[in-house]
Amino acid sequence: MRIITEAVAGSLESSDLLVKVSPSRDKTLEIYVTSDVIEQFGTQIRHVVDDTLKRLAVTDGLIVIEDKGALDYAIRARVQTAVLRGAACKELNWEQLS
Amino acid sequence: MPAELRFHTVDAGESPQESKQIEQLLTESDLGWDSRVETFVVCRKGAALVACAGIDRNVVKCVAISPAFRGTSLSLQLGGELLKVAMERGHFHLFLYTKPDNTVFFRGWGFYPLVEVRDKVALMENSPIAIRRYCSDLRALRKHGGKIGCIVMNANPFTLGHRYLADVAAESCDWLHVFIVREEASMFSYAERYELASQGLSHIKNITVHHGSEYIVSRATFPSYFLKGKCTVDQCFTAIDLLLFREHIAPALEITYRYVGTEPACPVTSRYNKDMKHWLETADSRSPSIEVVVVPRITLRGSPISASEVRRLLQNKSLQEIKEMVPETTMCQLINCFGDQRRETEMTDGDDH
Amino acid sequence: MKLRRSMLFLPGSKAAMLSTAFVYKPDCVMFDLEDAVSLREKDSARLMVFHILRTDAYKGIETVVRINPLNTPYGLKDLEAAIRAGADAVRLPKTDCANDIHELDAEVARIEMECGCPIGRTKLLAAIESASGVINAVSIATASKRMIGIALAGFDYVIDMQSQRGDGAKPELFYARCAVLHAARAAGIDAFDVVYSDINDDAGFLKEVELIRHLGFNGKSLIHPRQIELLHNAYAPTEKEVSYSRRVIEAAAKAEKEGVGVIALDGKMIDAPIVSQAQRVLQRAEASGIRR
Repeated sequence: MRIITEAVAGSLESSDLLVKVSPSRDKTLEIYVTSDVIEQFGTQIRHVVDDTLKRLAVTDGLIVIEDKGALDYAIRARVQTAVLRGAACKELNWEQLS
Repeated sequence: MPAELRFHTVDAGESPQESKQIEQLLTESDLGWDSRVETFVVCRKGAALVACAGIDRNVVKCVAISPAFRGTSLSLQLGGELLKVAMERGHFHLFLYTKPDNTVFFRGWGFYPLVEVRDKVALMENSPIAIRRYCSDLRALRKHGGKIGCIVMNANPFTLGHRYLADVAAESCDWLHVFIVREEASMFSYAERYELASQGLSHIKNITVHHGSEYIVSRATFPSYFLKGKCTVDQCFTAIDLLLFREHIAPALEITYRYVGTEPACPVTSRYNKDMKHWLETADSRSPSIEVVVVPRITLRGSPISASEVRRLLQNKSLQEIKEMVPETTMCQLINCFGDQRRETEMTDGDDH
Repeated sequence: MKLRRSMLFLPGSKAAMLSTAFVYKPDCVMFDLEDAVSLREKDSARLMVFHILRTDAYKGIETVVRINPLNTPYGLKDLEAAIRAGADAVRLPKTDCANDIHELDAEVARIEMECGCPIGRTKLLAAIESASGVINAVSIATASKRMIGIALAGFDYVIDMQSQRGDGAKPELFYARCAVLHAARAAGIDAFDVVYSDINDDAGFLKEVELIRHLGFNGKSLIHPRQIELLHNAYAPTEKEVSYSRRVIEAAAKAEKEGVGVIALDGKMIDAPIVSQAQRVLQRAEASGIRR
């Protein structure tokens, strides 16, 4: 799956996260995460993000995440939403999303 | 599940009554009404207007929150709503002006500081990496060593004046970087301006003609430059544009000299040139000084050659008189476009030198 | 016998609420993908609900997903998300007739089959929001074996009736409440009353709760967690009810032990409905003690 258009999902509110995706310039996948809790949970957040993108088979795009202390389930949901929007994908493949 | 806050948008001129309430809220926050705001995102609790945030294309401004709601979750909801409204209008990469003290607050909205004029104003953007990526792209085009110069031009259209300035600069530098202002607010489109400048500078060997960007003389970095018919320049805004150049762009390309032509005609550009010495050379900054070299304009029969004069003559359909003021490449284009039909010449604005 | 007094509405797009609301211990939560979610957030809310359901955050609380109507572009996708994530039940809004439930039932069966979950696991709740829905309440309540309850939704209903919501004790919902309740009882399923939307008016809320408890509703849809404890307390039995119920259950146990067909207490005959009623009282007492 490729990011073909700029898209946003989520919010800046507490316990949520904002995911911004945009097309990659050089067909790479770049991920940036900033978080209120990066010290304690940075690795875990990054792990969930990577895993979610891998399941969706995202090959290229720029993914920028502003985390506000979201739990894993919210990270998965918002990353998936932003990617599906950015890839203009309307069909839901539940195996990939699970 | 706090009591219900409702968000909606108010377009400029849509509701005089709501505009008045917004203005009142802005006044309470020591902010002025900004007529360039196209849309306000407002938040109401019941009938009361408790927060607002404006967007002027991709620039966020006029953010105010009623004192009772400061420090509550409302602010983050407002930030999120604003982002979505901007997205719907096609603006993904956003800039935001605020007081330096408030940059911490807007970090919560996902904005990152770009440049700051101490105690006055800060410019932020909603990406942690956009400026870094831009500068790393520039670094790939860097020429090492010696004296590296730079010119930023609108070239609306490219004249012999532009060529002369570039010739002088290129002569005295080991390498010259030229940026063409990217914003589409001129009589000539960006594509035309870039093309004519590239052609008109093709004889210079030690030069790179760069595409402009949102970080150089854009609506975001230098809003007053693009205000039609107004020649007021807010000093803070020239400072923002110039410090952004000094602290981000110049280091990426190792630029140490910036060249400008004297500016007798346009007050905005004239003021900009004057401020340049201050902000690039003497003002406090985390980056080293950049020397500003002012080059007197080339003249034709006693009058300086300028793009604004060319546009004036175009409006009068005096193509013949233009011939001596522009290179052949520009002239061909002018004849193509204006030879028989007249183009709208309304969108004129500040000249560059 | 599942206790369903409180059904707390949670907007599917609000991370902060989804992440924390289990601490209020409602009997049921209803993750809303319909009215509480704006059109541009439908996709996002659906995935939020899908993923929160896959965690064990709401373990021990019955989970319900309010989907969008099936004739919208969202309804079927919402249903897929709910079933695949293992929601206990799906709540269909704007149910007007039995056919709405038949359609839903068929889709639920298809999705259950496709994702390999036991057929019949997903239960259904119908929300009745119109005059037709009220008129058809009996056929709706009996339209599927999956049905566990019907809920009256007052907001659209009063508009349909050209009426308006009063303070909780006004009669605008009287007929609808009675109709829905009778349908539920006849079908052997639960009945839920409308939300009370003024979250700051405890007195009004309690007045309405008193009314619907007396009518016989199992519980009520709630939009704010602070209403949960008020509701549970109002549904808690009195000391006297509890001690009487204990004696009923003891008498029933004794009769069973002795193999006597007739249960007697204080010289009076006790029949099966009274025993069931006593069980419900003790269940409520166990859940939230004696009414304060």
